[in-house]
Amino acid sequence: MYKKMAEYRTHMKIIGDILSTTQDDLQDENGASVTYLIRKANISHSRISRILKTLVSQGLLEQVKSQRSNKYRISQSGREFLQAYYKFTNFADSFGLSI
Amino acid sequence: MEFLLENILNLIGFLVGLSIGIMSFIGFRNTGSPTLFRLTIAFFSISLGFFVIWVGYMAEDLIIKSGSIAKWVQTLGIAIQTVGYFFIAFSHSIKSFFPKSRYFRSIGVFPLFLISSVQIEHIFRAVSFILLAYAAIETMLSYFENRKKGTISVSVGLSLLALGEFLGWYSFLFPESILYYVSMIIKIVGLIALFIPVSKVPLTKIKFDEGLE
Repeated sequence: MYKKMAEYRTHMKIIGDILSTTQDDLQDENGASVTYLIRKANISHSRISRILKTLVSQGLLEQVKSQRSNKYRISQSGREFLQAYYKFTNFADSFGLSI
Repeated sequence: MEFLLENILNLIGFLVGLSIGIMSFIGFRNTGSPTLFRLTIAFFSISLGFFVIWVGYMAEDLIIKSGSIAKWVQTLGIAIQTVGYFFIAFSHSIKSFFPKSRYFRSIGVFPLFLISSVQIEHIFRAVSFILLAYAAIETMLSYFENRKKGTISVSVGLSLLALGEFLGWYSFLFPESILYYVSMIIKIVGLIALFIPVSKVPLTKIKFDEGLE
């Protein structure tokens, strides 16, 4: 039986998936845990840790410290980035490309 | 009359290419995407190529008045456009053949055309045709995957640009015929077809964020 090959996700697409999860698919108002993001974004722990660190340092995500673990919430800059990401994903799609 | 037509056609090509280039640049500034960076280079190059030829015609029309545009100006303009077409095809080749290569994804490979010949314009047109035909086929294949109307418009646009380059190259055989003008008009229609999906990208709420760099 024909099985479709897994689609390669660009670094940008992974960032888009993480930000999208923290915006639209939150567990609670404090944000999403790392474990939840790993499951939703389908990415390894070591890789997501690096990406989250970068996103927090660039102000796209806010780190919320709770008793058990760190949680992540999208910032206003993150929302603007995500908006631009969606728009220019469509733009690149028109050229048959992915950003 | 011929000069007027050339002026108008090259000016339209310059403006359309510039518009798509600016759109790509805004996207690159907002997302940092290497794909959008390559599209920026591609469309700024295409735009600059048309601009160089337009300036050549304007200079000839207003200052030099020798009766024909200098051959090297035309060749230079076409060469710059070829660089632009290369980057469109290059983006597709990365997507198809090197999706995981950080080297190719992060930087561009500048094409090296070091061929000395009187007929160099023929070579640039032939290379442009091959690059555009490849990009048009890849875009069409992408359309079969995503089924977006904008993608088919871009594919038609690239196909028309390829046809325009082919007719432009073929017109060397019939220098006094209408073929060259037909090729120019087809290229402009191709650029407009490229612009249709781009014009639908809403930019009203996008702003530059210096902190993203």
